[in-house]
Amino acid sequence: MRVAELPLYWKVCLINGAVFAAGTLVLALAPLSVSEQVLASEAAVLAVGLTLMVATNAALLRRSLAPVDRVARQMQQTGLVDSGTRLEPPSSEPGDRLVAAFNQMLDRVEAERSTSNAKALAAQEAERHRIAQELHDEVGQTLTVVLLGLKQLESRAPDELVPDLVAAKETARDALDEVRRVARRLRPGVLEDLGLHSALAALATDFSAAGRAQLTRTFGRGLPPLSNEAELVVYRVAQEALTNVARHAEAHHVDLSLTRLGDRVVLEVTDDGRGCAHLEPGSGVLGMRERAVLVGGELSISSRPGQGTRVRLAVPCEPGLPDVPDVPDVPDAGGSRR
Amino acid sequence: MTTQPTRVMLVDDHTLVRRGVRLILEQEPDLEVVAEAGDGAEALALLRDPEVGPVDLVVLDIAMPRMTGLQAAREIARRQDPPRMLMLSMHDNEQYFFESLKAGASGYVLKSVADEDLVAACRAAMRGEAFVYPGAMSALVRDYLDRIRRGERVPGSVLTAREDEVLKLIAEGSSSKEIARALTISLKTVERHRANILAKLGMRDRTQLTRYAIRAGLIEP
Ligand SMILES: Nc1ncnc2c1ncn2[C@@H]1O[C@H](COP(=O)(O)OP(=O)(O)OP(=O)(O)O)[C@@H](O)[C@H]1O
Ligand SMILES: [Mg+2]
Repeated sequence: MRVAELPLYWKVCLINGAVFAAGTLVLALAPLSVSEQVLASEAAVLAVGLTLMVATNAALLRRSLAPVDRVARQMQQTGLVDSGTRLEPPSSEPGDRLVAAFNQMLDRVEAERSTSNAKALAAQEAERHRIAQELHDEVGQTLTVVLLGLKQLESRAPDELVPDLVAAKETARDALDEVRRVARRLRPGVLEDLGLHSALAALATDFSAAGRAQLTRTFGRGLPPLSNEAELVVYRVAQEALTNVARHAEAHHVDLSLTRLGDRVVLEVTDDGRGCAHLEPGSGVLGMRERAVLVGGELSISSRPGQGTRVRLAVPCEPGLPDVPDVPDVPDAGGSRR
Repeated sequence: MTTQPTRVMLVDDHTLVRRGVRLILEQEPDLEVVAEAGDGAEALALLRDPEVGPVDLVVLDIAMPRMTGLQAAREIARRQDPPRMLMLSMHDNEQYFFESLKAGASGYVLKSVADEDLVAACRAAMRGEAFVYPGAMSALVRDYLDRIRRGERVPGSVLTAREDEVLKLIAEGSSSKEIARALTISLKTVERHRANILAKLGMRDRTQLTRYAIRAGLIEP
């Protein structure tokens, strides 16, 4: 093992030992003697010797330990907010290893963080799924029964009761519409039942219906299959990107495209709106990034003032990260039995 | 001419919904509910059962456990001389509508307007016409108007001034009731205009509609 690679503790011992050895050697070999009653001249020589030893020791230790202090200062300034930043390793040895260890720890912390984010997102989706299902299957059905029952009563009731029955019926209808809207926001049922193409087509239709901008869609033929998680991510990213176009872009035209590029599927939402010079990420953009990480995808947003904005998501075709908790089982209508 | 009432089978996993639908349909002299099934598999079994007798129309809920309504519709459509089919659904989403047409159904009725639309939808299905639920109708019409605005040549014959008015209101998402109120005409007249518009745009039945939607890129082939 080279001296430079010794642990810090041994290095300090070695330096101290060397300095003491040198002092002892000087004391032994030099023609010096110390009287029982220490003379002033002897004291002066001793003091000089001692000072010399301390100074040498300090200088040597400083060379070894200073980088450690510098790294410690750098560590304090490193925040976790800007993920991906790592310390530059200094040239000298102990600092070097400290930096390497610290950077490794950052890697681990970030990996942990993104897995736990992924878990939280998956748990959130599963929970939404459950609530939507219950709204649909329980509340929705019950309200349908009420609606049909009131309709049936209406035709048999005496005339003076009819207006009240009609009012009650309309209330039931409104409630049913509301339940449906809430359930739809919670969970893109069309994605599970009919697949990604239909789900994106439905998003596009909703967007056009709001009348904020013209939308053109381009869906490649024969796209490779994505995992359920990846499809959900593509859907949610498209949803947020379109929401942002409607809210911020003041665009005339939007392109929504899903195409294949090598072994990846690429979603692009491009608008011709006002764009922005410095895009300050809010929860929408952060959410898109986190979801992309979840399936090993890449998200990029480019935007220039007056030139519109483009959100691009590329996800690998092979199922991305494993171990993302699955959403509860739902019968699929995609004809997979064939 | 003596017409037999239409023999209807109801398929829904929710007993009370089935009962409600039955009560609505049985108020009509031309509709008779002859069988009820709780899921797709049971429906298929009942269709094969000689004791049930012939069935003219099957009303299917989309969301059912085990075999969904769409899967059941595909199976039923594969039968020799299949009955007509109508989907009943909570989803206000034109993709489900087009998927239903592809699966072989003639129409799609939203549960939240089932009390108003279901009987009309049954009759349209028996006439061989498609029943286009309002949300899908406005999606289709909006797409049609977009094409005209872009200067594309679109199929179809010329609409009357009144039909044009109705078309615009549909595109804005107005319901039949709202259109009737806005134009001070009866609901029946609005329904007739709707049917005429669809016929003139070449979207009269499920085959025409599906073809149009695929050509317009509203759905995948
Ligand atoms: N298509 C776009 N055109 C112009 N500016 C945009 C566009 N998309 C995003 N931005 C800008 O980026 C910012 C961040 O967007 P982000 O979606 O993260 O937040 P938000 O939309 O403001 O709020 P929310 O968290 O509810 O989505 C927006 O405030 C907006 O200024
Ligand atoms: Mg946003």
